[in-house]
Amino acid sequence: MTDSNILLRVENLCKEFPIDDGFIARRRGTVRSVHAVNDVSFDIAAGETFGLVGESGCGKSTTGRCIMRLTEPTSGKVLFEGRDVAKMNRAELKAMRREMQFIFQDPYASLNPRMTIGEIVSEPLVIHGTVPDKAERERIVRELLDTVGLNPEHINRYPHEFSGGQCQRVGIARAFALRPKLIICDEPVSALDVSIQAQVLNLLDDLQKEYGTAYLFIAHDLSVVQHISDRVAVMYLGNMMEYSDWKTLYAEPCHPYTQSLLSAVPIPDPDIQASRNRIILRGDPPSPINPPSGCPFHTRCPIAKARCSQEKPQLREVLPGHFCACHYAEPTPIKESSIELDAVTE
Amino acid sequence: MFGLGLKKRNTQDLRNTPIPEGHHLLEVNDLKMYFHTEDGIVKAVNGVSYTLDRGETLGVVGESGSGKSVTSLTIMGLIPMPPGKVEGGDVLYRGKSLISMSEEELEGVRGNDIAMIFQDPMTSLNPVYTIGRQLSEGMRLHKGMSKKDALARSVELLRMVGIPNPEQRVQEYPHEFSGGMRQRVMIAMALACEPDILIADEPTTALDVTIQAQIIELMEEMQQKNGNAIIMITHDLGVVADIADKIMVMYAGSPVEFGSRDEIFYAPMHPYTWGLNRSIPEPEIGEKHPLTPIKGNPPSLVDLPEGCVFAPRCPYATEKCFKEVPPTYVTESGHYAKCHYSGNAEFVRANAPETSRTRKVAATPTEDERLKKGGRAS
Repeated sequence: MTDSNILLRVENLCKEFPIDDGFIARRRGTVRSVHAVNDVSFDIAAGETFGLVGESGCGKSTTGRCIMRLTEPTSGKVLFEGRDVAKMNRAELKAMRREMQFIFQDPYASLNPRMTIGEIVSEPLVIHGTVPDKAERERIVRELLDTVGLNPEHINRYPHEFSGGQCQRVGIARAFALRPKLIICDEPVSALDVSIQAQVLNLLDDLQKEYGTAYLFIAHDLSVVQHISDRVAVMYLGNMMEYSDWKTLYAEPCHPYTQSLLSAVPIPDPDIQASRNRIILRGDPPSPINPPSGCPFHTRCPIAKARCSQEKPQLREVLPGHFCACHYAEPTPIKESSIELDAVTE
Repeated sequence: MFGLGLKKRNTQDLRNTPIPEGHHLLEVNDLKMYFHTEDGIVKAVNGVSYTLDRGETLGVVGESGSGKSVTSLTIMGLIPMPPGKVEGGDVLYRGKSLISMSEEELEGVRGNDIAMIFQDPMTSLNPVYTIGRQLSEGMRLHKGMSKKDALARSVELLRMVGIPNPEQRVQEYPHEFSGGMRQRVMIAMALACEPDILIADEPTTALDVTIQAQIIELMEEMQQKNGNAIIMITHDLGVVADIADKIMVMYAGSPVEFGSRDEIFYAPMHPYTWGLNRSIPEPEIGEKHPLTPIKGNPPSLVDLPEGCVFAPRCPYATEKCFKEVPPTYVTESGHYAKCHYSGNAEFVRANAPETSRTRKVAATPTEDERLKKGGRAS
């Protein structure tokens, strides 16, 4: 990837949410905070799909929201086409958001129930004033509805008249209305049934091929992320643990967390399922209010050593383009979908 | 009601009565549960049949609104009637009809012989009672245990499901537990009276994958120990591949296919099962396979299509499918599918998905065949 090709660059992004412990804590200056995102860096090239996976509470959604400045990052840089999003004023931010759109998780909650889907899809065009002519706007909206697989005749219907999958198509049409360069998809299919999920994934794929839009695809489902992404990053407790192209990450995961995460995904094939060597992690993820010292994963890691609780591992390039934040990680090929734990523990 | 003199229950457990000759542990015969609403009759469950024996796990797979939860709630007698009404069929537990049981008799079965784990561990626990009190309730009710004994048993149960420091945890409230821990408490509660049948309604859907793996492992462990049967309701084919012996695929209130796990995964006969298979992104190592989604949306249960319920979305549908309700095609092993063309071997061979999952099913007699020949699992 050349530098000129880079659409979005995130550098050392941190986000802390202070907790209101009350008056005494404020007076004493002992206000605690939730470390939602901790020193996250990555970049996305034009037209690429970058997948962000992790369990609930790992900071993947907060990362997405910080990039659009829906929440203010605590520190770090978000460079969109070389310009720092954090330093933009209102007007610049508005102009930037024309290029960067969002698809939300809940298809019902993200559509205004009092607006017709025509109004919903045309709203970005109105706000940004790109198409002043009303008749022309309607023509574009009809075209968009047709593109996402909805009947353009339904332009005057309300969201409650549609199913979850159809509502998500409306959300996608709205995101594409301005032909943005980057769309942040925050769990766009996790509220949908499998047969509908596949429809929406294929639609996102087709639209990307047509318009060359880059996606930041945030999801907890590893199979979905693998299916759609070019490169995948794994997050845990606000930290980026590993990232690589989709093939390497799934075939040769380095980080013990990625390995256990992959082995925990049930594969819909009884034979593979029975022959797999599965790593079942003990316990729950620690609280992001009081994250463990050293490596955030050391409390559940099957290969943790003394050094892990003292020294925080930095992302290092284990193979070209394959980064991993673990002191001891080595690329471990998965043979026939089974993860060899022994190879790691040696 | 608790503490104000608990009504003493009939402590005779149905699970100790032997299964009558020619019956299974649980038999569901052509069960129909309709809801009478203002918008019309919602045919939530429309002719479900299956059998279950001790130690077996039945996976019920389907999308939202396919009737998989309503089926099990009907078995438990937890559907409010009205609006619900059993329009036909029966549920036999050890040869005794659960549908025609009195409410009092049913209370003796529910939570005792047949227990249920609900989907959402966050809302299924009462926030104002301690975990210990909620765990004890069933044991005091069904077993007539004293408060002290029930609490001691609760500690034991929490330890069994892998909750650290159970003596202290038993005194805590649900908000002090994480999601995975709450689901463990739900499992402990369901297992408190050592049920014959454990119904788990999407027990891992609200949980992360690493926690999901822990919970499934726990349920399998408990089954091996207690020999209970499990009905696992889920939308995730991966989960049933892990745990189920038999699988029922449901669509719009009807079972469209039923068979052993291997039959459903490696020799499916119904186009809907094929569609589900093709819709799931597979964690793969080689090249990416394109997904082939099922077109359209599931039908409204108020206004089911004429003929085959799947016909409007089926890529192979013919004129016949839109007019005639398909018969149930049953193979020798008891594997059945509701499709006009499932009996046509050539059609099945030509159209069944060609994924890594397709494999010849071994010709050895399956569990169902063995059962058919008279040898019943204990």
